[in-house]
Amino acid sequence: MRHRTTAKRNAGRTITRRKFLGVTAGATAALSLGTFIRSGLGAARINVLTWSNTLNAMDDTLREQAKQYTKEKGVEVGFEFINQTDLPTKTAAAVESGAGPDIITLWSDGPHLHDKALIDVGDVAEPLGKDLKGWTNIAKDIAIVGKTWKAVPWGIIPICITYRSDWCKEVGYARFPDTYEEMLAMGKKLKDKGHPMGFALGRAIGDGNQSHYPMLWAFGGHECKADGKTVDINTPQTAKAVDYVRQLFKETETEDVLSWDDSSNNRAFLAEQVSVTGNASSIYWAEKKNAPQLRDVTDHALWPKGPAGRFGYSTAISLGIFRFSKVQKEAKAFISWLMHPKQYSAWIGVGEGMMAGLLNFYEDDPVWKKDPKLEVIREIPKYVRMPGYPGPPTRHAAESMVKYVVVNMFARACRGMSTADTVKQAESELKEIYSKA
Amino acid sequence: MAPTATAGHFSEGPAASSLRRFVKPEAFTGYFLISPAVFLMLVLLAYPFVLAVWISLTDRVLGEPGKFIGVRNFLKLLQDPLFLQTAWNSLVYTISTVCLKMILGISLAVLLNQDIPCRNLVRGAILLPWIVPTSLSVLTWLWMFDSLFSVVNYILLGVGLISKKIPWLGDPFWAMVAVVIVNTWRGLPFFAVSFLAGLMTIPKELYEAAETDGALRFRQFWHITLPLLQPVIAVVVLFSTIWTFADFQIVYILTHGGPINATQIFATMAYDVALVAGRIGEGSAISLFLFPALLVVIILMLRYLRKE
Repeated sequence: MRHRTTAKRNAGRTITRRKFLGVTAGATAALSLGTFIRSGLGAARINVLTWSNTLNAMDDTLREQAKQYTKEKGVEVGFEFINQTDLPTKTAAAVESGAGPDIITLWSDGPHLHDKALIDVGDVAEPLGKDLKGWTNIAKDIAIVGKTWKAVPWGIIPICITYRSDWCKEVGYARFPDTYEEMLAMGKKLKDKGHPMGFALGRAIGDGNQSHYPMLWAFGGHECKADGKTVDINTPQTAKAVDYVRQLFKETETEDVLSWDDSSNNRAFLAEQVSVTGNASSIYWAEKKNAPQLRDVTDHALWPKGPAGRFGYSTAISLGIFRFSKVQKEAKAFISWLMHPKQYSAWIGVGEGMMAGLLNFYEDDPVWKKDPKLEVIREIPKYVRMPGYPGPPTRHAAESMVKYVVVNMFARACRGMSTADTVKQAESELKEIYSKA
Repeated sequence: MAPTATAGHFSEGPAASSLRRFVKPEAFTGYFLISPAVFLMLVLLAYPFVLAVWISLTDRVLGEPGKFIGVRNFLKLLQDPLFLQTAWNSLVYTISTVCLKMILGISLAVLLNQDIPCRNLVRGAILLPWIVPTSLSVLTWLWMFDSLFSVVNYILLGVGLISKKIPWLGDPFWAMVAVVIVNTWRGLPFFAVSFLAGLMTIPKELYEAAETDGALRFRQFWHITLPLLQPVIAVVVLFSTIWTFADFQIVYILTHGGPINATQIFATMAYDVALVAGRIGEGSAISLFLFPALLVVIILMLRYLRKE
């Protein structure tokens, strides 16, 4: 009797093939239905691929804003944050395979490099310009290819001079010098006191290029003419820039700059090994946590003026929409919403100078009033140019930048090569690049 | 009683005989069994390779189809001073690291083949550089070579071997030395363990006979160890040469190809040109440039091995 009961119970527990198939099919159907309902009965989802900001708070704000957008508009937005250096690879993969995110964050010349894969976003950029006091010139240079807006300029990572105000005062400079000649004079005094300056001359794709293109332009040198095709580096102006950088290196800088990557100057500044460097406000921000005693004696300044004027080169980021996206209309609406002062101010507000807007409206953003040491950053977009200047930021200009043609021209001079030889070598490298279709 | 029930006599049963009928055309079964592997090879190796060859023969840029231009990419590269420097750097990098790894690998293997204390522990520890993810270990090396905080310089200065710190990653010569050191450190376990496996197969009697004949250690090594280890050396060197020529991570993390292109090698240049500047036709040509030469090396090595 007992045996029979147990057998009955076991029979109830036995999983037959039919039962297994039935349960599996039911579970699959339930899961699919759940996913379908969760996605708002087939509502759109926008996938955004972007860089992981040095300041996590900025990414957190974007995540919150995405949730807010879903609540307000019923459209789900998913941000994927990846390392800045992985963006080119991911972008290339998406462009080549015709699949991937709907919105992509494009680095400086990205809209020009990938223009064929991007849709026209003029209907987002033009109204934004009208409503928010117009776009800066650099925004148009970055995002307009031919006559078409291929991306919406999201902002720049403003690169400025970061310096030790106490050491500069010690050698007689209450304010940071306004010209390169004065900076050289101050740098000599600083180095004599054991506080060398440092501008990356190694393979620092950001800091190396961003420090030395402005110096080339400030002395009147260019890698090409305004047509964006004719190489124009071998000029007396370039030679003057090379002579200046060599003198700056020998008389004011630490030799270590020849090996610096993008993070080296941050470390050196925080370790009180250098007095002046070219960087975003990330050093100032990092001091909050790692070296609070340095916050009071760290300040920012614009790049100095040279004989040809004041220039800067800051990495720009833009938002483009891929042709293959199935939610182009929704993606445009989201970008437009994201650029609206309510969202944009909140985002750059937590950034504390790590990001500056390219719409003139944001020059008066409250973030610049938060801290007097950040106020100077608001002016940077006015002076920013892109590699290829005075021509457009073309594929050739991008290639010369990733091959460090300009930085290496200066680095060779600092290592002892004659001005004529190093400029000639840069010219030959540029001709090789610009001869391509 | 079912005929198949007798253990050891499966061939007698109907199920087994139907299996035998299926198995009979052995050639077909062979092809059938290797077909998954062939399929994977075609999809994962042959297709990307053929595609890369095709792209290298076009002027393709990212997102555009490009047109066939024959070997113009390759010819143009030969006129590019930066590419010629890259080719030279790649040769220096590969030859020096493979030679170093071979010499040090054999020495280490011979040492590990002796009766040393904690032999198994040491053998395991030797594998560590090979096990740790390359990117992580190279980041550590990056700190060790840092211009400001280099522990290597600190030690060398401390023991008085140098009087001024070495600009490891800032000087063209020292940057090449640095990447060679790290590659050697990373690849040494593969050499050592492979050679050790080879050494363990050499019969002890040969050494005993040599000792009886009065041969010294070096002569034993030269006349017994080295000749018998040759097939292993050939295979290991072949693999390492291919891997080193295609290396990317060590150089990219440590120097990004700098300073002044002093450590730019094929893979890092191909990455910059193809993925960052968007010229994938030219980038593919850079990465495939040495393929014909490598192919000849591979064929010669394999023929040698077959003869052995």
